[in-house]
Amino acid sequence: MGEEEAKQAKQEEKEEKAKPKEEFRLSFDYFNESRLGIFALTICVLIAIFPGLPAFIKGIGIMIVFAWGADSVRKTARYGLGTGVPSIGVLAMGFGIIGGITGIAVASMSFGTLVVGGVEIAFGVLAGVALLALLGFVSGNLANGDKFINMKIPGLERGMTELGIAGTLAVLIEISIVVGTYDPAKVLPNVINNGLIAAIFIISAFGMLQPYNTCLGADERRARTLLMSIEIGGIASIILGIATTLTLSAVQGVPLIVLGAVVWVVFYRAYMKACMDEAYAVKGTGLIKTLGG
Amino acid sequence: MEPITLLLVLVCIIIGGLLSSLAVHLMPVGGAPAAMSTATGIATGCVMLMTGAAVTGLFTASTVASFWATKPSVILVALSGAVGSMLMMGFTMFVANLIYIFGAGIVPCSGRVAVDPITKESQTEYKTPRTDGHGVPTASFVSGILGGFSGGFGGALIYVMLVSDSYAHFSVATAGIVAMGIFIANAIIAAYNIGGTIEGFHDPKFKARIRTGLTCSLIVSALCGVIVVIAMLTGTLVGGVM
Repeated sequence: MGEEEAKQAKQEEKEEKAKPKEEFRLSFDYFNESRLGIFALTICVLIAIFPGLPAFIKGIGIMIVFAWGADSVRKTARYGLGTGVPSIGVLAMGFGIIGGITGIAVASMSFGTLVVGGVEIAFGVLAGVALLALLGFVSGNLANGDKFINMKIPGLERGMTELGIAGTLAVLIEISIVVGTYDPAKVLPNVINNGLIAAIFIISAFGMLQPYNTCLGADERRARTLLMSIEIGGIASIILGIATTLTLSAVQGVPLIVLGAVVWVVFYRAYMKACMDEAYAVKGTGLIKTLGG
Repeated sequence: MEPITLLLVLVCIIIGGLLSSLAVHLMPVGGAPAAMSTATGIATGCVMLMTGAAVTGLFTASTVASFWATKPSVILVALSGAVGSMLMMGFTMFVANLIYIFGAGIVPCSGRVAVDPITKESQTEYKTPRTDGHGVPTASFVSGILGGFSGGFGGALIYVMLVSDSYAHFSVATAGIVAMGIFIANAIIAAYNIGGTIEGFHDPKFKARIRTGLTCSLIVSALCGVIVVIAMLTGTLVGGVM
């Protein structure tokens, strides 16, 4: 008996020791603003031009593009623009919708999509991305230029350019998740005419504007803010997973829903932990069961 | 597609963009201070207020556009969009004034001018010291309605050019969402130009900044128009009635 009890106690000890290992740690220290931009641009362009990829890989793509978009919103809105942070996120998606639809239109031309060994490579969508990068750059220059609005905000041109690119990539990747191709004959009825584009608009806008809008303030920390963008990417994956199950098949949709749920839980925990650790004191109201609070 | 059609769509997108930029400058926008009734206008940002009004305009415009089986009348659809936006702005400002007057107990008055240019009544006596006006006074209300007209007309003009089968012939939803995208891009530039709060056409800021705002809007809408024309040229988005 005594030995068994001792064994049990040892096992419990082991379990207790093993638990802290589960703690999720993610660092944005390596991915500073420029590195995150280059990384997200490369990965997301690759994901966007291959519409035949499985949906959960594209799900990872939207999380990355949300993180980049949220970082750009942070860059743009940091200095106080005279308009709210939400309007910057909505701007990114306004750009994104124009760019996404133009990209799909160009990709549907004969030269817009190459088929190599049965794999569809839609180079045409990059035309939309490039045009919106130009539009974003011009808008940023108009807002910052001496002869125009003259806002004198450092890095506004870069921020607006990145918002144009990130918004367009978000729309393109989400459309390719739901439809699995850029053929307008399928995109128009399945995404645009049935109104799913409005849901895509608002979830993507939230992925980009919400992190900085909630976290802004004196003690805002970039790594913590971006955790939330990935968390919203998880929620977006769940919503898009349901849409994909309805339009394509459960084989594409269910893994995306599972990925979304896992990412949501993991990053919600990570974000709450970061908030608890960095707060001077936390007092729960009892309304929401806060983790460890 | 014929070059003249493309040119007409481009010109109408530019006109729509300019009208939406003008509309944002006419809005009585109070921002965060207006939430505490320490500034004249409605307690939200330019873009959110204007997007709400424009989307309502697009709803009325799309309803009216569906009355025609083919070739909707451009001017009637654009005007119906203007009416929708005006109604939305009117309700918003009216309900805001009800809350300001009966809830917060303040007198609507302008903070930027001494005399209301429409009623010719003096404003300074009613302004609480250290605030920037309160509520939505008559001049701002009229200005907001004019802004609703201009913005709704602009947004619906873009919409009807994109949806009409004699022009771009996009599907209803594509036209609506693209019109909204162009509208938002213009509204943001105008909001940057205003930089916070504005009371309407009587505000000194309006006269000082409207020219820059319209110049920037011209460039941005021309670029948006070119992008949409590229999408039209591919000819693959032709959707017709949903």
